[in-house]
Order: sequence, then C-alpha cells, then structure tokens
Amino acid sequence: MLSPIALWYLIILEPILNVLVALSHILFGQFGLAIIALTVIVRFVSWPLNKRQLRSTKALQDLQPKMQELQKKYGKNKQKLQQEMMKLYKEAGVNPLGCLWPMLIQFPIWIALYQSIMRALAVTPENLLALHGHLYSWEVVRQAIPLSSQFLWLNLGQPDPYFILAIIVGGTMWVQQKMTQAPSADPRQQSTTRMMTMMMPLMFGMLTLMFPSGLAVFWAVTNIIGIITQYFVTGGWGYLKFGSPFQSTPANGR
Amino acid sequence: MRMRQAKISFLVTILLLGSVVVSCIPGQGQPATGWSGTAFYDGIIYAGTLDGRVVAINATSREVQWHYSFAEPSSGGLSCGQSSVSTAIYTTPVVDGDLVYVGTYSGHVYALTIDRGTERWVYPRTGSIGAIVGSPVIANETIYISSSDGMVYALDMSYGDEKWKSQRLADKLWTSPTVVGDTLYVSTFAGHIYALSAGTGELLDWSFELEAGFASSPVIHEGTIYVGSFDNNLYAIEIGASEPVWEFGGSKWFWAAPVVHEGVVYAGCLDGKLYVLDAETGDKMGEYDAGSPIVCSPVMMDDLLIVADESGDVHVFDLNAEPQDKATLLKAIPIGAAVRSSFCAHAGLVYIRGEDNWIYVVDIDKGQVSQLLFLTSEG
Repeated sequence: MLSPIALWYLIILEPILNVLVALSHILFGQFGLAIIALTVIVRFVSWPLNKRQLRSTKALQDLQPKMQELQKKYGKNKQKLQQEMMKLYKEAGVNPLGCLWPMLIQFPIWIALYQSIMRALAVTPENLLALHGHLYSWEVVRQAIPLSSQFLWLNLGQPDPYFILAIIVGGTMWVQQKMTQAPSADPRQQSTTRMMTMMMPLMFGMLTLMFPSGLAVFWAVTNIIGIITQYFVTGGWGYLKFGSPFQSTPANGR
Repeated sequence: MRMRQAKISFLVTILLLGSVVVSCIPGQGQPATGWSGTAFYDGIIYAGTLDGRVVAINATSREVQWHYSFAEPSSGGLSCGQSSVSTAIYTTPVVDGDLVYVGTYSGHVYALTIDRGTERWVYPRTGSIGAIVGSPVIANETIYISSSDGMVYALDMSYGDEKWKSQRLADKLWTSPTVVGDTLYVSTFAGHIYALSAGTGELLDWSFELEAGFASSPVIHEGTIYVGSFDNNLYAIEIGASEPVWEFGGSKWFWAAPVVHEGVVYAGCLDGKLYVLDAETGDKMGEYDAGSPIVCSPVMMDDLLIVADESGDVHVFDLNAEPQDKATLLKAIPIGAAVRSSFCAHAGLVYIRGEDNWIYVVDIDKGQVSQLLFLTSEG
C-alpha cells in the first residue's frame, strides 16, 4: 500500500517532472522554453475548469451594481444585507463560491508544477542526485539531464539579478487582480480590497528576488495567460480600465 | 494613524508568512549540505563536516587533532526551504607534504597545515570563484580544481597563486579533473570531455562529444577514458578517438567514477548494482546487486575491492578471484548509515563518513564496525 506522499509522486509529480524534462530536450535544450510550454499546456488542459472559474467571476462582476445598491440600502443591517445578497445570488443563478472550487481542483497541479521546476533545476548536488529516482527511462529524458539553466539573461537556478522578473511578476499579478477585484462602496472594504490588490503582487515580487528565476518565469507566464484568458472570457479589462463596471455605475446607485 | 500602522504591520506579516509558507512547501528539494569524504594520511583521518569544517582525527587515539571552520555566522531567518550550510563541503580533503587542501561550495580553495590546521593560503584571496563540488587533484606540483563557473583552475601548491585558469568549458563543472602526464581531462554535464594542457590550461586539439551529459569524473587507464553518463551508460573512450570503444548500459546513472584494475572495470551504478566489465571489450563478467544506489566510487585495499551503498552496507569483493567470481561477494558489513561520500582504506580498516555525520571504522577482516567520532559542531 503506497503512502499518500508516494502516490503524490507517482501520479502527479513524476509525470509532470518527466514531461518538463522531455520538453526541455525537444525545445532545443532550453529549460526556460520548457517551463513556458508546460505552463501553457497545463493551462490548456485545465481550460474547462478555468473557463468555469472565469465565468463565475464574470457573473459576480455583473452583479456588482446591484450589490452596491444593496450595500447602500442595507449597509447598517448586516443580517438583512446578507439575506438580500443571497437572494440576489439565487435569482441570478450565481454561486459566490463558484469561482473558488475550480481553482482548488487546479491547485495540486500548480503545486506539482512548482515542485517539478524546483526539482528539475537541481540547483544543489543533492537535488541532482535525488533526481535520478524520479526520472523515467525514456530516451528523451535520459538525453536531457542535466538541464542547462541558462535562458535569455537568466540563470534559472538563481534569482534574477536585474529585478526585471520581479517587476514583470508583480506587475502582471497586479493587472490580473485589478481586472477581477470589484471596488466596494464601503470605504473600509474598499481599503481592504486596495491593500489586497497591492499585497499579493508585492509578495510575489519579493519572492521572485529570493527564489530561482525558473520559478519566477512560471509565475510570470501563469499571470500573463491568466490576463489573456480573463480578457477574452470576461470580455475586456474588467475593473482595470477606467469606466469599469463599478465606475460606470455611480455610487448613488443610479 | 493607528489604523494605518496596523495595516502596514498586517502587510509586512503577510509578506513574511507568505515567504515562509512558499519556501516550506515540501518537495522542492534538498539544501546544499555537502558530502565530503575521508582521507587518510600518516595516521590521521581528514574529513569535511556537514557544518562547514575540516576535522583532523588521530586514527589510533580517536582524538580530534584540530578542526578548521569555513562556516560564516548563520544569518538565522525564518526560511525552511533551500537554506544551506553557509560553507558546505563536497570535496574530499587531499593531503600532500605538510598541507591539506580543501575546496568549498562557497568557491574557495584552502590550504591548511596538517599539524595544526592553520590556514596557509586561500584562493582567491578576495572574492570567490564558482562553487566547488569536485575534489581537488594534485599533479605536477600543482593543484587542479574544477568549479561551478565552468572553469578549471591550476594553483601553486605552496602559495596558492593562480598558475592559470581555463576558458569557460561548460555551464558548471561538478566533476574532478584527471591529469595524465602533461594533459588534464575534464568531463562536463554538457557531454564533453576536454583535454587541456596541464602546464598552460590551453585547450588541446582533441575533445569528445556525447549527446548526454557526463555524470562521473573521468578515469584513465592505458590511454582509455572510462566515464559514466546521465544516459545510464558507462563509456570507454580511447583518447584521440571520436567514437567510444564500447558502452555499457545500466538502468540508472553511473554517478561514481569506476575503478579499473588489471583489465577489469568495476563500476557502481545508481541502480544498486556493481558491474564487473572487461576493460577492453566492455563485456559483462559479472554483476552484484547491492540493493541500494552506489553513489561513491569503490576503493581498492590490498586484494580487496570495497563498495559502500546508500543503505549503509559495505560490500567486499576479491580482486584476485577468477573472472567468473569477481562479482561474488566475500562479505557484507552493515554500518547503519547511508554512504554518499568517498571513503578511504588503510591497513585493513575502512574509514567512512556516514550521512548521519558519524565517522565509522570498518574492520574488514573481522567484519566489525565501530564509531570513530560524531562530527558535531564542537568537533
């Protein structure tokens, strides 16, 4: 009987790791291209879930003007506000948590992708030695190891010394968040939202300065694909651009 | 104002927690801790420790003669992910004359006196070169070392002056070079074997290229290079030729350098097997399944071949056995700790640093194991 960790390795981590290594060999020995390609492939495979998540987000966005009205109307009576909001969700056929569960299902895949990148990079001699236990005997995999960590100006095993990736990761994450996060009429909630929109890009920007740049390439590509898919599925820049759904609906609840 | 301060505190806390959580996600690999092996010279065992020191231990009295720390003060911190010993040691100390030479993962080569362990010189005197993983090699009164910056360095043994450094040969060099006469050979992860002038560091005309990378350091015997590869093959390459003489396939990497003795190649493989091959033809004469990856090179002692594996077993073979019996086990002695580091043997005793940071003494004749010293931070 395999332990959960062994199952994790067998079913999720090792297939992703080996595909990543094989892709690196196919893509001219460029591990950076392999990271980009695999991120795109994983995004493509998880597209049905992703689409569902984006549509739920869009549906929630569309409800924002009505939500603002409710907040204005019942702002002081939290219980009533809650009831009215649930009623609104029900009428519109929207599950407020509907955008969460597709994300949760994808989460293990993203963790495995993250771990695969870290393992494949084999930054330390211990990591390289440990890699042999997780590789398939495919010819293409055997030819690919060890991977070259040079990609563009980056050493994928080291943080980007020029801060370019940190700016790209932080910037794209901010854009993506800004596209989805609806402003609130409540000043306190608005302040929290603003802080959250800043916090995640800042955190990931900082992590980019600490972690191997191969991982940052993965984050940057993930964000960029997220922005593109969001743009096309939700039909525009969402709350990012001026004249966003919220701003086109004045706070007085016209 | 207070609200604003609270928000900033919250933001900082989340940033720190986020860093810790992401760095603590299991599965991203192991930090660099080092796997320095043991060297025996004039009754003293020299070994690198997991906390960045070189220790000299009297093999008879089991007392620590001295220890020298390369470790820089730890910065502490919250991260639990890729934190490494500040100066991990992967190289096995090499002794010559009155000095012991060690390369560190921080990119320094140290020469310490063997009597007191005081620093005679350090290279480079300022700054550092790339991380050093392959053990130094001494030949022609020169110390040769390969580095993670992809270059080979030749240093003066007495003063540590740089005699030459090669051009960049690869992304990184983690194997040891081998010197035969006036020529230095080095294998690379990119699948090259380069020949350099040992006197000047200039690239010579001949080089060998393989699609897969080379995992082990090259071993040279009678004009042929024996080297393990990441494509699970062991290659025999005649110097000057463009095609291998033979190749032999295991089922994992040949990470450890093989041993060649009297026309026979003994190659430990990460598939847990010791392969015994005809050095001329590559034909398999026998194989022994140790049952656990063989990470470090076998060692010859008198008429015996000693092999240690990752499960902590020491296997003994008779080098003088008939060809069909060369892979027949004489005895197996469990030491109880994983072995990755190179080890040494002297006068019937084998000195091994286990991954539990103990130095073990294995009496091959009696089949007994004793613990020599636990390499704690206090030595």
